[in-house]
Amino acid sequence: MSNLEQYLSTDWSAMTGQDWAGLIITVLVFLGMLITFWMTLRPGKRKELEEEKYKILKDD
Amino acid sequence: MDTVAKPQYDNGVVKYLTVGAIVFLVLGTFMGTFAASQLAWPALNFDIAEITFARLRVMHTNTVIFAFGGMTLMATAFYTVQRTNGVKLWSNSMAWWTAILFTIGLLAVVVTISLGMTTGKEYHEQEWPLAIAVAVVWTLYTFNFVMTIASRNKETHPNVYVSNWFFLGMMIAITYLYVVNGLAIPVSLFRSYSMFAGVQDAMIQWWWGHNAVGFFLTAGFLAIMYYFVPKQAQRPIYSYRLSVIHFWALMFGYVWLGAHHLQYTALPDWTGSLGAVISLAMIIPSWGGALNGMLTLSGAWDRLRTDYILRFLIISLAFYAMSTFEGPVMASKTVNALSHYTDWTVGHVHSGALGWVAMVSIGALYHMVMKLWNTEMYSMKLINFHFWLATIGTVFYIVAMWVSGIMQGLMWRAYDEYGTLAYTFAESVAAMHPYYAMRALGGLLFFSGAAVMLYNVVMTIRMANAKATSQVGAHA
Repeated sequence: MSNLEQYLSTDWSAMTGQDWAGLIITVLVFLGMLITFWMTLRPGKRKELEEEKYKILKDD
Repeated sequence: MDTVAKPQYDNGVVKYLTVGAIVFLVLGTFMGTFAASQLAWPALNFDIAEITFARLRVMHTNTVIFAFGGMTLMATAFYTVQRTNGVKLWSNSMAWWTAILFTIGLLAVVVTISLGMTTGKEYHEQEWPLAIAVAVVWTLYTFNFVMTIASRNKETHPNVYVSNWFFLGMMIAITYLYVVNGLAIPVSLFRSYSMFAGVQDAMIQWWWGHNAVGFFLTAGFLAIMYYFVPKQAQRPIYSYRLSVIHFWALMFGYVWLGAHHLQYTALPDWTGSLGAVISLAMIIPSWGGALNGMLTLSGAWDRLRTDYILRFLIISLAFYAMSTFEGPVMASKTVNALSHYTDWTVGHVHSGALGWVAMVSIGALYHMVMKLWNTEMYSMKLINFHFWLATIGTVFYIVAMWVSGIMQGLMWRAYDEYGTLAYTFAESVAAMHPYYAMRALGGLLFFSGAAVMLYNVVMTIRMANAKATSQVGAHA
C-alpha cells in the first residue's frame, strides 16, 4: 500500500455512531453549499435576486 | 404618487436601546481601559477584590459584548425589521419588556461577577439563574423578530431582505449554543457545575466560545452592515447574490471552528485539524462579504471625504477583512504553537472587537440617531474627531499586542545551550511592560472617542427635542 493509499484508507468497521453522524453531517453540508451555489449563481436567477438590493433604498 | 401609506414604526424602544448601547459602550471601554492599566501598573488594583483585574476583565467583556453589543443588535434588529418588511413590530410591548429585562439582567450579571459569582466559563460567566433569565429574554427578542417578519404584507414584500437572514441565523444559533453550553447542575442559588466534564467540557465551551464570536459578533453585525452600508452610502449593496452565498457559507461553516482554540491539548488531534482547515476555508466567504460591502462604494469613494459616518462603516469592513484573515492563520497548528496563550490572541480579538464590531455599530448608531430623532447631528466635526480617536486607538492597541504577543511566544520557547529555558516567566512579564502601557493608551483613546460620541448624541437629542417643542409652540 502506497503512502497516499495508507493516508486515505479508512477502517469502516471501527466507525462509531458519532463518527457516522459527523460524516453524514459533513456530506450534507457539502451538498448544501453546492445547492446554494447552484441556486444563487445560475444566470436565470440573476435579475430576480439582484432586484432585491434596491428595495431598502426607499424603505423610510 | 406613492399611494401605499408608510406605517408609523415603533421607534420608542429603538431609541431606548440606541442610547443604552452608547452608554454601555462608554462604561465597557472605561472598564477595559482601567483593566489594561492594572496590567501595566498593578497598584491600580488597590487590593479591592470587587475591582481586581481578574473580575474587572470579565465585567469588561460582559459589558462590551453583551450589554453594548447586545443592545446594538436589538436596536438595529428592531429598527431594520420594521423598515425592510414595511410593518410595525409584532408586539411593541414585548419589545419594551425585552429591552428593560435585558438591561436589568446585564446589570445583575456585571454586579454578580464583581462579587465573585462566576461559572468560570469564557463568555458564559453568568450563574444559572441569570443564564436562564438571559435565555428567556433572548427568546422573547427572537420570537418578536420572527413574528414581525411573518406579519408583513406578502404582496408588497414577498421576499425577506438579506440583513434579516443574518439576524435570524444569529438568533437561532446563539439560542442553541448558549443553552447547551449552559447546561449545569445547580448546587445553590449562585453556584452550579457544568454537566460536561474534562475534554468534553472544553470542547463544548469552545464550540460556544468561538461561535459567540462567529454568530453574535459576526453574523449579527453583518446584518447591520448589509442594511446600514447601503443606506448610508445611498447605493445598493454591490452584489445581492454574493450576500446570499456569504450568508449560507457562514451558517454552514462557522459551527466547525471551535476546536482551533484547543490545539495541543487532550482533545483528539483531528478535531484541531478540522477546526484549522474550516477556519482557513472561511477566509473566502468572509473576504467575499467584506468586498461586497466595500465595493458598494464603487464610483463614489469620494463620499468618504465628507461622510464621517460612512467612514466608520467602511473602515470596519477593512478590520473585518484583516481579522478574518489573521484568525485562520492563528488557527493553523504551526502559528498556533507560537501564538496561543500570548497577547497576540488578545490583539486579534480586539482588532475584531474594536475595529469591526464597535466601528460598524458606531456607524449604525449615528445613522439611527439622525433618523429616529429626525435631525442632523449636533456636530459632524465631533464625529470626525471620534473616528480618528477610535482608529488610532485601535491601531495602538493591536500593534502593541502583536509585538508583545510574538515576543512572549519567542521568549517562552527560547532555550540556552544547556537545553534549559533562556528566560523565566517573570522575565517575560517584565518585558511586556512598555507594550501594556501602549495598550492602555490605545484603550484610553478609544474610550475618549466613545465619551465624545455620548456627548454628541446627548446634545443632538436635546437639540431635536428643543426644535420639536418650539414647532409645537409655533403651531399652538
